[in-house]
Amino acid sequence: MARARGEDVLKFLTLYFLLLKATATSFARLASVPVVRDELVVQRHMITDHQLNSALVITRATPGPVGVYVVSVGYFADGIQGAIAGWLAMTTPALLIILLLRFFAARATHPRVRGMLQSVVLASAGLVVASSIPLARDAITGPVTASIAVGALVLLLSKKLDTLWVLCLSASVSLVCALLGVREVVAAAGM
Amino acid sequence: MTVALTQIAAEFARYANLTLGGGSATIAVLREQVLSKRKWITDVQFDLAYGLSRLTPGTNLLAFCTAVGFFTRKWLGAIVALLAASVPCSIIAVVATHYFEIWQTNALFRGALAGALAAAVAIMLNTAWVLALPHAKEARLRALLVVPGAIALVTFTHASSIQVLGVAAVLGFAWPARAEKTS
Repeated sequence: MARARGEDVLKFLTLYFLLLKATATSFARLASVPVVRDELVVQRHMITDHQLNSALVITRATPGPVGVYVVSVGYFADGIQGAIAGWLAMTTPALLIILLLRFFAARATHPRVRGMLQSVVLASAGLVVASSIPLARDAITGPVTASIAVGALVLLLSKKLDTLWVLCLSASVSLVCALLGVREVVAAAGM
Repeated sequence: MTVALTQIAAEFARYANLTLGGGSATIAVLREQVLSKRKWITDVQFDLAYGLSRLTPGTNLLAFCTAVGFFTRKWLGAIVALLAASVPCSIIAVVATHYFEIWQTNALFRGALAGALAAAVAIMLNTAWVLALPHAKEARLRALLVVPGAIALVTFTHASSIQVLGVAAVLGFAWPARAEKTS
């Protein structure tokens, strides 16, 4: 029994460090995926390609950061214990920002640091636009989903509704369209 | 102003876990809450938290939440914000993973998901607008150069996000901001 517990702990730590290796060396949304695949699918066979893809799809459909896919990966690899290892691997790198803050906070109003932060925020806005293009190709499949996207954008820009309500409203409109038999949504739903 | 830890937990649990559209979209929503509405942090602190979160490895949103928590209540605030921003969505992810095979075959779920994903595109575009607008007002030329420049760089050269942000950081350091903000 003690040996089984020791193996559990070892598996937990192995999973944590493998996932941490992936999260701590990536700086963008799903940039850690190649490392996760190489370590857990190719080298150690802890999960399959299908499970990795499923984990990515799940995080597209659930709220929260995209990086939460490592929790799903951990769950596929080792149940609840694996999910906890995934959660730890996801949250550990976030604490590094405190070290950066301690260095930069006192210099935040310096024109060069301001210029640097301003440029990083503006470049981030550009990256968000760029990353919305493939998402749009995937999500906007016809006039109904295009109208939902435009309507949602108008509501968000006018700040009339909170994001959560915009999402609920969009999902409801889409669901009603599916129930009414609108071809575009029916096809997306596979009804 | 001292912010209660329960308030920090409530704000981050609500807004960091209930927003689709990725981390940047969530940060735009959090900006409204912690800066515009509640004034827990200043403009300068937001820029610092956001800019550095993009340069921190791992999940940018969690680094951002940790930074805001740290500005609000130091280490305790950082830990509470990190836990509140990561535990509920992780539980949702575990439940969703467990039931994924069942949901995947449910046509009603897929029908609703089609609309939610379309709205996620709008959320992304709104996010870019919310992030760029304050700086576009303050530094129009920089905005006109950096935003399209970043889009072009990532689209045509397939540079990674961190490479684009690195270029922006170097460019920004070499090109100091004109006016110092005090708010």
